[in-house]
Amino acid sequence: MAEIAMMSGFALILLGIFGALTNRNLLRMIVAFSIASTGVNVVLVSIGYLPGRTAPILDAAVPLESAAAQIVDPVPQALVLTAIVIGLGVTALMLAYAYSLFRHRKSLDISDFTELKW
Amino acid sequence: MVRAFVTLVFVAILGLAFGRLALDYVPDAALNQTAVHYAELTPPETGAQNVVAAIIVTYRGLDTLGEVTVLFLTAAIVALVLAQTSGPTKGRGSGLLPSGELLQTGTRMLTPLILLFGIYVFVNGHLTPGGGFQGGAILASAALLLLLADPVRRFSHRLLSWVESGSGVFYVLIGVFGLFLAGGFLDNRILPLGDFGSIFSAGAIPLIYALIGLKVGAEFSSILESLEEAEDH
Amino acid sequence: MVSPILIIAIGLGAAFLLGFVNEDRKGIAFALTLAALAAMSLIALGWTLAFAAGNAQTADILTAGFPPPFAINLRMGPAEAALSLLVAATGFLSAIYMRDALYRHGRRAMAVLLVAIMALTGIVMTRDIFNLFVFFELIVIATGGLVLLSEDRRALAAGFKYLVVAQVISIMLLIGIAFVYHAMGSLNIDDIGPVALGFSGAGLALFLVLVALFLELKPFPANGWALDIYESAHPGFSAIFSAASGSAALFAADKVLATSPAWLPLATAIGIITFIGANILALRQNNDRRLLGYSSVAQIGLLLTIVGQRDLLGDSYLFIAGGVLVAHAIAKAGLFWMSGLVGHRDLKDWAVLRANPVLIFAFATFVAMLVGLPPFPGFYAKWDLAHILMAGDRAWLVALILIGALIEAGYLFRWFGFATKREAPEGFPGFSVNKMGIVFVTLLAGWTSGWIWGDLSANPNVLSMVPVLFALAFLVLEPLPARIKNLIAIAGLVGWFVFRYPAYDPLQLVFAIIILVGGAVIFLASFNWQGRRLGFYPPAMLMYAGLAMLIEAETSFTFFASWEILTLGSYFLILRGKMSEPHALSYIAFSLGGAFAILAGFALAANGTQPFEMAALADVAQTAAPYVFILLAVGFMTKTASIGLHIWLPGAHAEAETDVSPMVSGILLKAGLFGLWVLLMHMGQTQFYGINLTYFLVWIGAISAFLGGLMAIFQEDAKRLLAYSSISQMGYALFSLALMNHLGWLLALMFVINHYVYKSMLFLAVGGVYARTHTKLMYKMGGLITLMPFSFVSVLIGIIAMSGVPPLSGFGGRWVFYNAIMTADMRLPIILIFLSGPIGFLYLFRLIHSIFLGQLKDEHRKLKEAPFWLLVPQMIFVLFLLAFAVVPGLILRRVDAYISTFFPEGGLEWTSGGIISEFGYWNPVAIMLVIGVIFVSVFLLLLWMNHDAQKVKQFNIGFAGERPYRPETTHFAWNFFAPYRKAMGFLVLPVVTTFWNAVTDVLHETADFARKFYTGNGQTYALQALGFVVVLFLIGSGGTP
Repeated sequence: MAEIAMMSGFALILLGIFGALTNRNLLRMIVAFSIASTGVNVVLVSIGYLPGRTAPILDAAVPLESAAAQIVDPVPQALVLTAIVIGLGVTALMLAYAYSLFRHRKSLDISDFTELKW
Repeated sequence: MVRAFVTLVFVAILGLAFGRLALDYVPDAALNQTAVHYAELTPPETGAQNVVAAIIVTYRGLDTLGEVTVLFLTAAIVALVLAQTSGPTKGRGSGLLPSGELLQTGTRMLTPLILLFGIYVFVNGHLTPGGGFQGGAILASAALLLLLADPVRRFSHRLLSWVESGSGVFYVLIGVFGLFLAGGFLDNRILPLGDFGSIFSAGAIPLIYALIGLKVGAEFSSILESLEEAEDH
Repeated sequence: MVSPILIIAIGLGAAFLLGFVNEDRKGIAFALTLAALAAMSLIALGWTLAFAAGNAQTADILTAGFPPPFAINLRMGPAEAALSLLVAATGFLSAIYMRDALYRHGRRAMAVLLVAIMALTGIVMTRDIFNLFVFFELIVIATGGLVLLSEDRRALAAGFKYLVVAQVISIMLLIGIAFVYHAMGSLNIDDIGPVALGFSGAGLALFLVLVALFLELKPFPANGWALDIYESAHPGFSAIFSAASGSAALFAADKVLATSPAWLPLATAIGIITFIGANILALRQNNDRRLLGYSSVAQIGLLLTIVGQRDLLGDSYLFIAGGVLVAHAIAKAGLFWMSGLVGHRDLKDWAVLRANPVLIFAFATFVAMLVGLPPFPGFYAKWDLAHILMAGDRAWLVALILIGALIEAGYLFRWFGFATKREAPEGFPGFSVNKMGIVFVTLLAGWTSGWIWGDLSANPNVLSMVPVLFALAFLVLEPLPARIKNLIAIAGLVGWFVFRYPAYDPLQLVFAIIILVGGAVIFLASFNWQGRRLGFYPPAMLMYAGLAMLIEAETSFTFFASWEILTLGSYFLILRGKMSEPHALSYIAFSLGGAFAILAGFALAANGTQPFEMAALADVAQTAAPYVFILLAVGFMTKTASIGLHIWLPGAHAEAETDVSPMVSGILLKAGLFGLWVLLMHMGQTQFYGINLTYFLVWIGAISAFLGGLMAIFQEDAKRLLAYSSISQMGYALFSLALMNHLGWLLALMFVINHYVYKSMLFLAVGGVYARTHTKLMYKMGGLITLMPFSFVSVLIGIIAMSGVPPLSGFGGRWVFYNAIMTADMRLPIILIFLSGPIGFLYLFRLIHSIFLGQLKDEHRKLKEAPFWLLVPQMIFVLFLLAFAVVPGLILRRVDAYISTFFPEGGLEWTSGGIISEFGYWNPVAIMLVIGVIFVSVFLLLLWMNHDAQKVKQFNIGFAGERPYRPETTHFAWNFFAPYRKAMGFLVLPVVTTFWNAVTDVLHETADFARKFYTGNGQTYALQALGFVVVLFLIGSGGTP
């Protein structure tokens, strides 16, 4: 299970990066990066997964004494939340940038913004 | 073409590296030392049922404060970026058709429910799956619904920014209280841990989650509104 | 002590509080921002001071009240405290600097700035790797916001490119962190590692983390995005981006690397490639901010190299890395802030800074800090670094670092030359007081840091050396009139000589007389200048301070520090000449190259021991000795302008001001000679593959003497002629020194004295003529003998002294010289030296012939004698030469005795009647008498014959039937030695110049070609970043995935 998730996470990352580096449209690049960061999140979660265990919430289903033997690793789950929020922040920022660039230059092609170089 | 090929080669090699990581990966048979500590000591140390919530709000509270700050920053910068963008000046929500009666009434009916659900999610964050971010996102979805249903509608900037700032400042203050009243910055034990499993338990976690929820809701709403306003200019 | 976490809490709290401030009450918002930044700085300052005073222990700060690794912890140690202070203070100053931009964008922008600074201190303090990631992302986003403060519209695109690359980086970082957590079971940095160097499992995970952190450091060549930001962002933000972000990111890499030393070589490799690559690319930059960007990238590369060497550096690590880092941060922030004062973006536009001399001083300070010159922190750091690396058998790394530093010095000093020499715009409105104040604060910080590092150093503090302080005092005295400053300078030189006199041995005494007393005599000529003469005395006195300390230096450190100080001082002095911009640049390039060779030589010789006595050069191990010898000799020969390393000299000496030429020619060149002297004294018998190394020096000296003279005879410019003649004369001195026998050394010393006297005299005389005729081209003069009799006398005496004809001291020199070479057994170079004698006469003859004899030019008919104050020292020299000719023993005897302690054999015998050698004797008084009698008789004879000579009118000549297309070609003194040129011209083809030009051209062309790599396309940049990761992975895993 975890391996499949991890493999598909990596596949998403590679797809996302490839997409972001070959599509010249800013919006497509942003979407591609979103896919890549989703992939990262999937990989993150898959790392904390232990086969046959349950969610790290210590309610009636998980007695306190045997919690350590029953729950999956909670840390990656906490990390992935942070990663998601950060990814969202960056995506929003890139969208705003793309909007602004389009407003100024009437173009969404990344290769049109090369006046700074060398 | 050349670029696509080079990219393909690079991505393929990166794939090899990732493949190596995945092939070498052996799932743990048991929790590692950190996770065991959390599994066993979360209830006595923080009083939270939801271990992930305890980690997010208390153990790794500094990360979470950073996360909230990410959203705060994003909201501020999105507003800055869009303020610099002088598009063609039209009216508020111009170019969009007014929405119908049905949609507006439906929205009015749904909004309180969504808000209530969002509040439920963040208030119960320490007990059940959920928490401030999720709750805040749900709150913001109410705002999104309002904006979509009525493109002319605008929220009070003042209100949003007061909620945003107020919850943020209060969050930092709670952290500093922890420094003086308990074991350290963001220690949740400044409030009694209460009865394990009840709503008023886990010290400051529910309070912090509520603040996060409010703050996230306000940030998201303000990002949405900035984007919406950008169309007005 | 206040808890350091409050730095974070205050930054964040204030950022949130800003939301309560009404959008229109910008003053309140700004005050709140400043107050928060000030509070953050003060907390960091408190900790830094506590650590400095030894009152604080490294503290771990727990968050949430639980120990790591279960909760995040922060650490506050000396490095963290200093870096937090650096970050917060940079933020505070930049906030003031960016006031207008912040007002324009309102409280949101201020909040972003606060968060950025807060996150940077977070990166510095946190011990949790995921927390590190969070702070990094905060920086990414905040950077995306602060870039917008720029008025440059292109910043928007730069910001987007940055975000694209940041996405790639953060993917690597997150995957790496996740797998590191899996492998280690902890996110705490202290629980990581040691991870072995490897590219699978934990190794690969750590590799991803490290490579992401390295990418944050903008490694060459995957750094186009950063350069675009540097170029387009608000300079206030660029200062933060360079000084604060760079330092914090570096510290993050350092933290992670510290856990797994096996990975250090990776850091070294990336660091050094970045340092050299970015510096080469900077060569072709005309845009000031992009150039600063390249330089920032390079400096961070250097720092990463140092981080990679931390296993070797041991206890000195913080001192060295800190020194380079502080110098970089202060200087780079200062320069970025200065760039905001300059209205346009071309390097030449910095000439506008001349409107305020303090700004030029600040510019010079920052450049010196970046290059690692004394008395700034980078100097001490570089010194220690070179020593430890050399002792650790990493000479190759020292070589690479020094080459990179030399290239950096090249473009920085070129830029400084533009600022001081290029045309400044008219009617300049003045600088923003606010921004200028920030630059001044930075300037102060720079000097303070220099003092602190000097104090921390195990070596003496350059800023507590009396001569240096005396020279620096002239900075304060600058408002005084030049003549008062001149008086103080003379008093200082003479006073120091009197004060130190008892401590000198005879060799030092000779050099001290030339430097201090001789310097004072030349200063007499400086009375000719009126007004304030800004920027003359501080560098001049700095040069003299360096020289005075050099001859007394007992340890290699003092010697080297003095060497650099005199180099720096003389550079500024030479740069003052009207046309000297390119020449001063080539001077400083060669001098620094030489200085670096000396540094490497000393480091190799010391083999880790510090302080290293100069005398211990004699005990250097056999294996290292030849290399030490070569490095030091090459270094010293850059200063004596030996052939091959000479191309800087003619321009530098000829274009300098009238009173500067004698200083840099008559006095400064002796520094190189002194160095060679010390070297040969201790290491004169060093063998290299069985050949005595002095053998090469003999050859170099002979060739310099010969070719220098040959080049001199073809000059049209009188000062250039004198300059080339210096190459020749220094060649003589080198030759005689390298003979390694008693008379050779005595001769070298006579050259030291003679060369000072007649070269100073001739330069002053020609300078005096120039002051009247406004030309240095000899074919434009003629017949000045009647108008300028005193100048004529000094040129005549100078020439007689110099060409070695009786009766003056030059003849004595020749006499000793022939005695010396007869005792040596090298025949071939001696032939060259013999030939140089008549060649010397040829060019000297031109001076007197073309300038003073022949026909007077129409436009010169009303000229007066040279200015009084220029003549005074000349007449003193004339008197001295006459006296020295009669009683040479006065000085030479003592020295002769001193040399006997090295070469007991082959000395001279000093009797009342004359001086006796193996091959004959020399009686100066008798010679003077004989020559005097001959001269007077011939003179009287001529007078008698002259009475019935017919006078010819000046224009009583006919022209040939050709129309001269270049008027000067009709002048008989133009191309005077054309026949010789036909015969020997091939010898003076500018081969060496062509060679050095080719070196710089290749560097420039490489830069021009390579920078096309930065296409400006954000996708390309991201691809480069990805390629960086992939290539490292391939190399690391040995190409077998």
